[in-house]
Amino acid sequence: MPNPDSDIFRPLRAMMLIRAFEKALVSRADHGFQLLSSGEEAVAVGLCDAMGPDDQLLSSGRSIGPALARGITADQVMAELLGKATGPNRGKGGRGHIAQPDIGFFGAHAVVGGNLTIAAGVALAMKVEQRPGVVVCLFGDGACGSGALHETLNIAAIWQLPLVLVCNNNQLSVSTARGTALAPARLSDLAIPFGLPGATVDGMDVVAVRDAAREFIEAARRGKGPAMLECLSERFFSHSTATRDTRSAAELSEIHARCPIERLAHGLSPAIRAALQAEVDAEVAAALTKADNAPWPDLAEALSDVL
Amino acid sequence: MSSEPPKTSRKLFFREAITRALTEEMANNPKVILLGQDIGKFGGSYKEFVGLIDRFGSTRVLDTPVAEAAMVGLGVGAAAAGLHPLVSITYMDFLMLGLDPLVNYAAKARFKTGGQITVPLVVKTTAGAKGQGVVHSQCIEAWLMAVPGLKVVAPSTAADAYGLMKAALRDPGPVVYVDHKRLFATTGEVPLAETIIPIGQAAIRRTGDDVTIVAHSWMVRIALEAAERLQTEGIGCDVIDLRSLAPLDMATITQSVARTGAMVTVEEGQLTCGVGTEIAFQLREHLENARIARVGALPAPVSSNPLLEAACIPDADRVIGAIRKLLGSNSA
Repeated sequence: MPNPDSDIFRPLRAMMLIRAFEKALVSRADHGFQLLSSGEEAVAVGLCDAMGPDDQLLSSGRSIGPALARGITADQVMAELLGKATGPNRGKGGRGHIAQPDIGFFGAHAVVGGNLTIAAGVALAMKVEQRPGVVVCLFGDGACGSGALHETLNIAAIWQLPLVLVCNNNQLSVSTARGTALAPARLSDLAIPFGLPGATVDGMDVVAVRDAAREFIEAARRGKGPAMLECLSERFFSHSTATRDTRSAAELSEIHARCPIERLAHGLSPAIRAALQAEVDAEVAAALTKADNAPWPDLAEALSDVL
Repeated sequence: MSSEPPKTSRKLFFREAITRALTEEMANNPKVILLGQDIGKFGGSYKEFVGLIDRFGSTRVLDTPVAEAAMVGLGVGAAAAGLHPLVSITYMDFLMLGLDPLVNYAAKARFKTGGQITVPLVVKTTAGAKGQGVVHSQCIEAWLMAVPGLKVVAPSTAADAYGLMKAALRDPGPVVYVDHKRLFATTGEVPLAETIIPIGQAAIRRTGDDVTIVAHSWMVRIALEAAERLQTEGIGCDVIDLRSLAPLDMATITQSVARTGAMVTVEEGQLTCGVGTEIAFQLREHLENARIARVGALPAPVSSNPLLEAACIPDADRVIGAIRKLLGSNSA
């Protein structure tokens, strides 16, 4: 039986929580539509395991995994995604915009590549005020075609910002395959012309992600400047719950066989696994109940916090 | 012995008034930093940043590469993380490259995070035609007025250049501060005492009973020239300097037009969905019978050819023509 404090127990539970959370959320008719992280849990969890309390994470709109992994509670994420006033954004951000900077999740932003320059600005503030934190920006392969990445890499390099850029390369930008949209052999090669360290790791391996991220984050913390990490992952579902999947059943079956949770849990006793599953299922069920009982935002919120 | 009263103001160039405001606010508040192209040793394209890097150092006065999207994004992110940055976008035409972080992030951050994040950012940019052609002349401030969450100011005098910059650097933001190529070399009296011009208050530059002219930035000077010439024909003009485009000071405009009964708006930008169009409609909601005309640029690019540039943008003759037509049609 594994020690609950062991290396794998915490990340395993964190990944299982994301999977269970998304399953419960999309089982409801009233979730609107959602961008799911299932299949990509190891990227968010490995990355957040490498981050410290002073650090800030900015993510793309595919943010359920990153928000939960960074420590926003299931109760709060559920409330926000279902539009309730008890969410961290008071129900005004919702899908793609969840944020809680005071616990180190500066926020998701639903413009592809739109958080890159913002993250560099947060890192600039940390550098100017000599704060101890490092900024991590998580984005998809789709953002690697944007000019914002080039501008951010260049400025981060010349100013040696405490910024780690992490590409969660889930192989697809909506339906566009990475190979047809992006020229570089490895997306981390994009760091090379700017003189920055880059690495590509197996994004289905939570330990590999954590170790690679930790090296870059700690280097940035020591003033060694920015870096770019590419995590090769797989998206289990279509772009959003409202879009169709263009992949064949055979392809999907192959992708699901690479599940990062099964990979980490390999060898774990069925009893332990079942106990863990019951625990995360209960946490998610409680979050749904609390969200259902929580108030909607007052309609005056439609015009508040604008100016 | 001189019996002159002690001076309370000093004549400054418009660009010097900006420099003074930046100097005072940077000295007052260590969170104010500047980002821009050629704002360090070069001192800014219009010398409005001269000396700041020597006084405050390269940690707070940052020369950037030519990368407007990243420049605005850096300012937005640094503001969201607690600094009070000013980003200088040399020409307003290039602000288009930085609209994503400004419009999609900065203007919405406070709303979408439920008040967790504010973006105390100033974007300073230079509008207007002065011989530089189709992509160095545009006035797109009306686009920005249509973005909820943005404030937009556009001073026309040295005193307001100073006082509005100070207000912008103390505002929870984001604020777009629009100056004008032709204004930097103008002079005006600026109070010696530290003075803040509140955002959202228009100023009445001249009074008259027959028509109200509403303008901002360089066009205030054109409006004043037109008013001066019309006075000789016995037509009196109220000239209102908007100073702030978002929010608009409709109270000052409405009060004036309630008295004169007629309004002409003057802007260097486009009439379609322009500043004047917005003001005209809002005015109509208060004063149903006001006579209204608009003067703006021709619906065409602004050429660097001086003859074509002059043909494109409003001058006093066009303002006078519009006023004569407006008042004439009433008496006919």
